[in-house]
Amino acid sequence: MSIKHPKTDILIIGSGASGAAVAWRLSKSQFNVVCLEQGRWIKPEEFPNEHSDWEIQARTNWAFDPNVRGLDVDYPINVDESPIDPLMFNAVGGSTIHWTAHTPRFHPSDFRVKTLDGVADDWPLTYDEVEPFYDAYDELMGCSGINGDPANPPRKERPMPPIPIGPDGERMAKAFDRLGWHWWPSDSYVNSTPYRGRQACNNCGNTGLGCSRGAKGQTDVAIWPEAIQNGVELRTEARVFRIETDAQGRATGASYYDADGNVNFQPANAVVLAMNGIGTPRIMLNSKSDAYPDGLCNSSGLLGKNLMFHPYAMVSGLFQDGLQTYKGPLANMILCQEFYETDPAKNFVRGYTYQVARSSGPISTACGYMFGRVPWGAEHHAEFERRFGDVTVLGVIGEDLPEEHNRVELDPKLTDSNGIPAPKVFYKLSTNSRNQLDDAIENAVTALNEAGATQVLPTRFLKVAGWHLMGTARMGEDPNASVVDRWGQAHDADNIFIVDGSVFVTCAAVNPTPTIGALALRTAEYIDNKRADLKS
Amino acid sequence: MTDYQINLTDTDRIVLKETMNLILPPVDELPGAGDMGLASNAEELANRIPKYGLATRRVLDAIALDPSARAEGGFAALDQDQRNSALKTLEASIPETFDNFVDLIYIVYYSDERVHKRIEWRTGPLQPLGWELPPFNPQILETTAKRKPFWRKA
Repeated sequence: MSIKHPKTDILIIGSGASGAAVAWRLSKSQFNVVCLEQGRWIKPEEFPNEHSDWEIQARTNWAFDPNVRGLDVDYPINVDESPIDPLMFNAVGGSTIHWTAHTPRFHPSDFRVKTLDGVADDWPLTYDEVEPFYDAYDELMGCSGINGDPANPPRKERPMPPIPIGPDGERMAKAFDRLGWHWWPSDSYVNSTPYRGRQACNNCGNTGLGCSRGAKGQTDVAIWPEAIQNGVELRTEARVFRIETDAQGRATGASYYDADGNVNFQPANAVVLAMNGIGTPRIMLNSKSDAYPDGLCNSSGLLGKNLMFHPYAMVSGLFQDGLQTYKGPLANMILCQEFYETDPAKNFVRGYTYQVARSSGPISTACGYMFGRVPWGAEHHAEFERRFGDVTVLGVIGEDLPEEHNRVELDPKLTDSNGIPAPKVFYKLSTNSRNQLDDAIENAVTALNEAGATQVLPTRFLKVAGWHLMGTARMGEDPNASVVDRWGQAHDADNIFIVDGSVFVTCAAVNPTPTIGALALRTAEYIDNKRADLKS
Repeated sequence: MTDYQINLTDTDRIVLKETMNLILPPVDELPGAGDMGLASNAEELANRIPKYGLATRRVLDAIALDPSARAEGGFAALDQDQRNSALKTLEASIPETFDNFVDLIYIVYYSDERVHKRIEWRTGPLQPLGWELPPFNPQILETTAKRKPFWRKA
């Protein structure tokens, strides 16, 4: 059975960080907007933090990794050729349900790495062009922080003061001060005060498991209610499998499966793709046609290529002062950007950020999420007590550089529960990234020792660390060397836009979501201001 | 997730319980994990999560095949040192599987309220109580805020 819906002006696919931003911005325009989301609404009482077994759920039906969750609403990912497992969530809000909401911005230099350091490519836009959209997205999602960071350009007053950095954060901050290294309270989309009808955070810890208080910037609570009130239709359990095009290669809409397995067609004047850096190329590669024999808008041959993660290392410090380091948002206290820029004396280009993180509950402690698995047997109980609530982690976010061999393809056999081909990820850690991580580990050991750690444990490389999915439909001025232009509009079709991390040219050494959201708002403003032709 | 039935026999259950006592032995007033009655919780979770089910099945099968455990009385009849030795041999031979099995035992143990009480962890959901933390104090910025801006112009 096939169902055809009335035509809309703008069809957005994906309701996460970027799709919601576009929907919200266009809800203030004259466009009719429909958004298709393969997941469903999650009710506050469903979040694990409302349940005693939250630590079990974090490892099973609420795991970051869709291959572990294995829910029908997820799609599997073949990671046989990748040392990093991609992480994501499928629901209204997308991966903002699951993220820890640590929200630093790109630096101005991040948009100019070719010019400054002779590697990768420059972006076709500048920090100054993106800045007003950073401000708008910060306000929309609710940003806690404080101005004055010497490692970043001055910025508008943050909507809320910083969240507490806690005694563990202060301990690390003082260590950085003694070393003469930079640190600053992290900008976070975690409410330090009540904000726009949402409660303040009460420091329960596990921001990565969804927030039933609405204290975290998830688009299901921070953006969607207003967008829907303004008239956007958000259609859930709608799993898109193909972007349809006409003979000229312009989008005509999208085909999807509904919850009953019926094929639906949603016609539209324009399609905005917001399914993340793996989901978007997956569906574009699955949308081959006579106009696009190699995948939708792939005349450059770059669709799916240049996949960037942020390869992570972490260095854990064990302290013996009983600070109960499980109290407070898991990954939001302070950051250090002392080593952010290229240092010619080192054996790598570009740099890294330290994101200082906390520990978690007893199961995480025993199973070693932050400090290695506690040994079993006679030593177990003493060792558990030594570690529980006494670990601080320096997470390393290094700037990954784009390489064409790192890519997303369609798996020839693996499919999701509707039979749509699953993505297969090919990724190799570069020597540059490895050298970055090694340098960061060495410096982190210094910092943790300065802070008074009695034992330091480096984890050289995290497998379950594919939080940031970027680069697979890159932005650029040259249609032969990029998939979309500076507005996120496909070079090959003027009514197809991409707004998620796929468009990143380079990935900086920071969490990407504020940049994703800012670019999405910028694309939406372009559509509103310049593309009246897309209104029926 | 699909169910994976590990189909434990009564003998398996005895071995599982004894193994849990070795992995998490008695401490203070608490008996070992097996004697706390947590083997059924482990079995339930192993049936629910394939990773843990496969690990449990494989570990129990491997113990049954261990020559020392095939003597009269089986694994349960071995003394403590012999059992520990058997488990350490197993850990060395199938480390990833064994780690998953240990994780399973840790998960059920550290989900138990008696354990929470002993380690002084507030049992139950994280919400709605959360945790108290002192509010951010800007005085902590005194040193770092004095630094001149050093971001790279572009």
